Amino acid sequence: MSIERRSVLKGLAAAGTAPFIAGHAWSQAAGPSDAGQIDVEKAKAEGKVVLYTSLDTQIVDAINAAFTKKYGIEVQYFRGGSSDVTGKVLAEADAGRSQADMVDASDVAGLMLMKERGLLKPFKSPAMDPIAKELRDPDGTWIADRLTQAVIHYNTKEFGSAPPSTWEDLTKASGRLVYFSSSSGDGAPRLYTLASNFGWDLLKKLAATKPLRVQTPQVIAQVLERGERGAGFLQNDNIAWRSKRQGKPTDYLFPAEGVPTEVGACGLLKSSARPHAAALYYEWWMGPEGQAILVKGGKYSSRTDVEPPEGSVPLSKIKLIAPDHVEYKKNKSQILDRLAATFGGEWGN
Amino acid sequence: MQAAAPAAVADRANGRSIASKISFQGLVLGFAVALLLFLVGYPLLWLFLGSLGAPQSLGLEHLQRAFARPQNYAALVNTLQLALGTGVMSVLIGVPLAWATSRTNMPLRYVIHALVALSYIMPPYLTALAYIFLLGPEAGHFNRLLQGLFGFESGPLNIFSMPGVIFVIGIHVFAFTYFLTYSALKSVDASLEESAQVLGAKRWQTTLRINLPLVAPAITGGALLSAIDSLALFGPQAIIGTPAQIVFLPTRIYATIGSYPPRWAEASALSLLLVFLTVAGLALQRGYLERRSYVTVSGKGVRTQLLNLGPARWALLAFCLTIVFFSAIAPVGILTLNAFSKSWTDPLSLSNLTLEHFHTALFLDQVAVRGIINSFKLATSAAAIAVLIGAAVAYLDLRTNVRGRRVLDYLAILPLGLPGTVMAVGILLAFIRLPIPIYGTIWILLAAYVARFIPLATRSANATFRQIDPSLEEAGRITGASWFHVIRRILVPLSRPGLLVAFLLVFIPAFGELSATILLYTGGTETIAIAIYRLNDLGQLEVVSALAVFTIVVVLTLAALVSWLSGSSWSSSETPAVRG
Repeated sequence: MSIERRSVLKGLAAAGTAPFIAGHAWSQAAGPSDAGQIDVEKAKAEGKVVLYTSLDTQIVDAINAAFTKKYGIEVQYFRGGSSDVTGKVLAEADAGRSQADMVDASDVAGLMLMKERGLLKPFKSPAMDPIAKELRDPDGTWIADRLTQAVIHYNTKEFGSAPPSTWEDLTKASGRLVYFSSSSGDGAPRLYTLASNFGWDLLKKLAATKPLRVQTPQVIAQVLERGERGAGFLQNDNIAWRSKRQGKPTDYLFPAEGVPTEVGACGLLKSSARPHAAALYYEWWMGPEGQAILVKGGKYSSRTDVEPPEGSVPLSKIKLIAPDHVEYKKNKSQILDRLAATFGGEWGN
Repeated sequence: MQAAAPAAVADRANGRSIASKISFQGLVLGFAVALLLFLVGYPLLWLFLGSLGAPQSLGLEHLQRAFARPQNYAALVNTLQLALGTGVMSVLIGVPLAWATSRTNMPLRYVIHALVALSYIMPPYLTALAYIFLLGPEAGHFNRLLQGLFGFESGPLNIFSMPGVIFVIGIHVFAFTYFLTYSALKSVDASLEESAQVLGAKRWQTTLRINLPLVAPAITGGALLSAIDSLALFGPQAIIGTPAQIVFLPTRIYATIGSYPPRWAEASALSLLLVFLTVAGLALQRGYLERRSYVTVSGKGVRTQLLNLGPARWALLAFCLTIVFFSAIAPVGILTLNAFSKSWTDPLSLSNLTLEHFHTALFLDQVAVRGIINSFKLATSAAAIAVLIGAAVAYLDLRTNVRGRRVLDYLAILPLGLPGTVMAVGILLAFIRLPIPIYGTIWILLAAYVARFIPLATRSANATFRQIDPSLEEAGRITGASWFHVIRRILVPLSRPGLLVAFLLVFIPAFGELSATILLYTGGTETIAIAIYRLNDLGQLEVVSALAVFTIVVVLTLAALVSWLSGSSWSSSETPAVRG
């Protein structure tokens, strides 16, 4: 019997692991390292692209639909909060089973960590020229694709012509505020930027108004549209923009003392088994056509040669506060602990 | 292994070739056993090693650090409060309901009983979602109703609070207390009550002094099971608790792994804590039931008499209907209504009706469509494998005297006491690395589902084989049939309905599984529960409702099939366990 058992176990092991190993391309396909080397025929033969993104699904769907129409290549995507995206990429890499061809997250610190782990592929793209130096990795492993301004979003029925127009103003709206962060701390980077510029006291005062915490910016908009709360702080400008354009009773403003900006960035994964399709998609995403769709969805492009969204203020007229990604990445754990102590609840630390 | 021994003896008696027989029987059973050890034992081993810091290091400092963190301490305190709250609540509503449906002449007893079963079969994260619509602080329907009726300035009730979480989970888990109390009350011998009455006791005195003490162990046991189950329900804890800023152990474990970089040792340590709470609770329940078991409450059918309540029966009915309204009718109703409404916040009218959300959920939304397909695939495969393993374990237990079969049986029942989050952490740790790196594939979800729900298949297969007299199989062997032939031509046909029930009992909870899936899925392996959870995060509540209705229809149809196959939903308190 012991012989049988051993053979059972062996058979089991062989049967169990063979398909997983055989079906996966372990070799790191080199592929193009420069936009000029992309072979469209090869890309089409690779068949599909897998994207991990934290961008709003409506914009992702629009970008993908146009890409698929042009090249006949399907885009499959995983959408989560920015920490979910980074977390999944890192965990899959740990397991040696990376699924994504391209990653995009509103969390440069996360992309820096991926670079540090050697997961991202240096890539030379013509999109680098119209993008400011500080908004891309000098080694070309990641590049900013969008800038999200963290605005004050409010219900016009509640505030009329006198909305809270500074961060300090908000602290008076006790019981009427809403903000977002998932349990893994998606909202943390912008809160940190706000705190490091205006002091942690401001956050304490905001927390004292007992703000409602929701999971995503999309839900902030709904809570405001329904009038459950009156004002949202550090809301994504594109979501506020969309809500207003849809004729909902909301509006938004950029506080004059400064608006935290959050940089969304993307990069290609070294482990990709579909390097041509991935690079082609990357070029589409970063190129004028993809960025135009992004802007149509209310996002500001990171490219200097692309206009701001229709009906919105040019970035040059807004006082932007750039986040310190390096500092955030270094002290993430302490920052999350401090946010948990200030606001309560789960921040993933 | 000893499995060969009885077969060998039989073969010698029959004078047949031994070698082929041993290998085949051994191969089938051995395969099932290996699979069980690999799916349940191996991840549990990793959970233990993980809490010691493996594979990077080995030591107790991770455990110490995990328990010293205030975040984790707060999660523990909240979890204990939740368990206590739901336990008490389950008694307050479960016991009167059970008494009403089992011992009185209240009308609509069968309807109430079926609706309690429905509250339990419904995946609890869907109940939680429904209560956002019903009791959301401002826009919730009940709150708006109360505002309209009593002129409150804002909605008076807030689901996003500790009482809110206890309520939403309580109306799910009270079914444990209800069903246990119900069976106990059904089996109290009427002669005891008659004796009391002959001696001059009034009806209410009989109820309080004869019935209640007799069923007290069942009530306590039910309350403990309710409390234990509430510990594990990640779905409602996350959906209601996260916006309320209340952290429980499962949601805490999810966050320690969900944020980057994942903190494995801390997650394992917290998982062990959760296992400890569950095991302690179960041991208490066992011990209590054994010490306090009264012979009169037996499984045997006994004569019971129904109490004639007179007009009071209508008041009792009103109470019972209120409970099931909140636990089953309102949640299912509101999800259905929203699924067909253009906007859930607008009032119901013909112009507000639409099929668009079903169109989006079933055809357009990438994640939702993939989720539905994956859930069907996974639930079918998991159920098939679990039945295979469960049948093998039951067979070893009942038809052989293999040494160690009790241990196997125990291992196959063990996951029943393990929260999905805990199983997921063990499975992640085990299968993220060599020799079986299946993280990032759909196989890891299959492994998790089989491991989680194998107890349901094992118990069901065990009950089925018990009802089949082994002499039938022996007769087959004596007339010269091979072991495989006997299994195929005698055992399997006779146990087919029972094994189908076992299959469905695994399929139903696997179809809507959330708490393990949330830690194990990746892009491409989303399930229907993930689609619901993710779309809820994005506030697409109408599409979420459509998916919820679809899930409820699938689950209820299959549950009805189970109840039809098992003869009657009345006889059994073993409604399929659907955990979030």
